[in-house]
Amino acid sequence: MTQAFLARLTQSKGRQGLWTLPLLIAIVISVYLGLRTDQFLGSENLFNLIAQAMPLVITAIGQMFVVVVGGLDLSVGSLISFTTAILALDAPGYVTIPAVFLFAVLVGLSNGLVITRLNVHPIIATLAMQYIILGITRILRPVSGGTVPDIVIQSVGGSLFGVPMPVFWGIAVVLVAWKLLHGSRFGLHLFAIGGGVANGTPDAARNFGVPDRRNILLAYVACSCFAALAGVFLAGRIVSGDPNVGLLFELDAITAVAVGGTQLSGGIGSLQGTVIGALVLALLSNGMNLTNVSPFIQTAIKGGLLLLVVGLQTRKKIGL
Amino acid sequence: MSVIVKHPFLQRLLRVPPAYYVFAILLITLWIARPHMLNANIMGIFIRQVAPLGVLVLAQLLVMRVKSIDLSGGGIILLVNYVISSGIFPGASMPFFIGLSLAIGTAIGLFNGWMIGKRRVSAVIVTLAVSIILVGFVQYLSSGKPPGDVPSYLNDIYNIKWGPAPVPVLFWFALTVAMALFLSKTVFGRYVTSVGENPEAAHFSGVPVERTVILAHTLAGFIAAVAALVQTASIAVGSVRVGLDLPILAVAATILGGVVFGRGEGGVWGPFFGVLSFALLFVVMTTFGIDDPGKLIAQGLIILLAAIFYGIRTSRSN
Repeated sequence: MTQAFLARLTQSKGRQGLWTLPLLIAIVISVYLGLRTDQFLGSENLFNLIAQAMPLVITAIGQMFVVVVGGLDLSVGSLISFTTAILALDAPGYVTIPAVFLFAVLVGLSNGLVITRLNVHPIIATLAMQYIILGITRILRPVSGGTVPDIVIQSVGGSLFGVPMPVFWGIAVVLVAWKLLHGSRFGLHLFAIGGGVANGTPDAARNFGVPDRRNILLAYVACSCFAALAGVFLAGRIVSGDPNVGLLFELDAITAVAVGGTQLSGGIGSLQGTVIGALVLALLSNGMNLTNVSPFIQTAIKGGLLLLVVGLQTRKKIGL
Repeated sequence: MSVIVKHPFLQRLLRVPPAYYVFAILLITLWIARPHMLNANIMGIFIRQVAPLGVLVLAQLLVMRVKSIDLSGGGIILLVNYVISSGIFPGASMPFFIGLSLAIGTAIGLFNGWMIGKRRVSAVIVTLAVSIILVGFVQYLSSGKPPGDVPSYLNDIYNIKWGPAPVPVLFWFALTVAMALFLSKTVFGRYVTSVGENPEAAHFSGVPVERTVILAHTLAGFIAAVAALVQTASIAVGSVRVGLDLPILAVAATILGGVVFGRGEGGVWGPFFGVLSFALLFVVMTTFGIDDPGKLIAQGLIILLAAIFYGIRTSRSN
C-alpha cells in the first residue's frame, strides 16, 4: 500500500514530470515557517525571498534547457561570477551589458559545438569550461570589488508602481522561457531529442527529421544566456564584482531542476516544476536562516536533498 | 584531410594516450628553459607532492573504466583528515587510525556504488552530492576552522627517502603496479573491461554488471581513503580545505592518460603519466611565474583538449 503510494508520487507518466510533489513540499515549508516564525509572512521577508530566489530561478530555468536534452551544464556558476566581474569593470553599462551576453553566447556556442560536433561528454566539456572561465574571472578580479553600473542597480533594487523590481524580472523570465520551451518548435524539438536520449535511442529524433545537433547547440546557448542574466541580477544585488559569488551555483541549479521533477536523463520536465524547485531551495535557505541553522549544515542538507530527489527517480542507464 | 587522418602511421600516433606527448613536451620545455631543475632531488620533491593525486587517480580510472565517475574523493579526504587531526580519538594508535580511515572510505564507496549500480542514479550527481554533504558536515563539526595537528609519525613516514626516491612516490608506484596486475590478471579485471566496452553485451554474456559497478565504486572509496592518508601525512596538519580540487584533477589526469568512460586503452600507466604530466606542468608554470588563475585555465584547456582528442576518434569510428 505505502509502496504503491510512493510509486504514484515518484513516477509520473506525463512529459511534464512530477511537479505537484515539490509544490506540496513548498506549501508545507511555507505553512511551517509561517506558524513557527513571526517574520516569515511579513511582506518585507516575502519580497526579500523573491529577490534571494531570483538568481537561482533564472539559472535553473536555463539549466533545464540542457537537462531536457539529457545534458548538463556545469559552467554556469563560473559564468555568473564572470558576469559580475565584467559588470564591475569601470566601463559604461551600454558597453558591459551587451559584452556580458556576447560572451555568454560564445560560451554556449563553444560548449554546444564541443559536445555535438567533437563528441565530448557534456560533463567533461562544461567542467573544463568552468575552469577556464573561473581562471579568466580571477585574472580580471582576484578579490571582490568595483562598482556595477547604476542602471543595473536601479533595475534590481528599485520598485515600479510600489512593486519591487525582482517581481517583474521573474515574470519576464518565466514568460520568455515559457514561449521557448512550451510555445515553440524549438521547445518541442528539445523534448523530442531528450526523450530519445533517455530511452537509449539518441538518433530517434534525427530519424524523424529533427535537427538534433543544432537544437542541442541552441539549448547550451540558452543556458549560458540565462546564467548571464542571473549574473546581471546578482551583480545588481551585491553592487560589486565577486569572483566567488557563483561558486557551486551550478549544483544548486541542478538540485532545483531535479527537485522540480525534471528527469536528469532527459525528455521529461516542466517550467513550472523548475520554478517551484528553485523556490523550494530558496524557502529552505530562508527558513534555515530564520531558524538559525549553521550555514555549513545548510550545505549538507541541500546535498542530502539532491541525493534524495535523484535517488527517487529511476532510469535504465548505469553510470554517468 | 580525411586521407591524412586515415594514414596508418597517424592512426598509430592517435592511439597513444595524450599523457605521453604532454609529458615529453613539458620535459623538453624544462630541459631547454631550466636545465638545472632537472635533478633527482628537485624532481623528487615535486613528484612527491602529486603522490596523493596519483593514488586517487587509481580510484578514478577504475570507475571510469566502467563508465562511471567518482567526485566524492574530496569529501573523503576532508573527513579522514578531520578524523585524524581533530583529536576526537585521543591517544589512538596508528593502526586504529588507518583502519578507521579505510573503513570510512570503503563505506562511502559502497554507498556510492549502491546508489549508482542498484538505484541507477547519475554517478556525477551522487558523488558530488556525497562530497557536498561530507564537506558541509566536516566544516560544521569544525566550525569552519582548521581542527588540530596530525600525529607526527604520519609525517615522519612521509619524509623518509629510500635512496633518491621518497617513500610516498615508491608507495604510489607499488600501488599502480598492483592495480595493473589486478586489472589484467583477475576475473574482476575482465569484468571491468567488458562492462566498459558494452554494458548490455556484458549483461547478456553473463557478466554481473551491477555487482561490477558496485565493487568498482567500493574499491574506489577504499583507494580514496588511502589517498586521504597520504595527503594528510603530507600536510601534517588538520585543514578544512585540503584536497577539494583533487577529484577534478584526478578526472583530468585519467582522461589525459587515455581512460575515457569505458575506453581503457591507456591502461594504468597512461593515467600514471597523466599525473606526472601535472607534476611537471606545475613545475613549468611555477618557474615561468604563472599564478593560480593561469593554472586553472591550463587545467581546463588540458581536460578539454584531451577529451576532444578522444571525441574526434570515437566520432570517426562510429
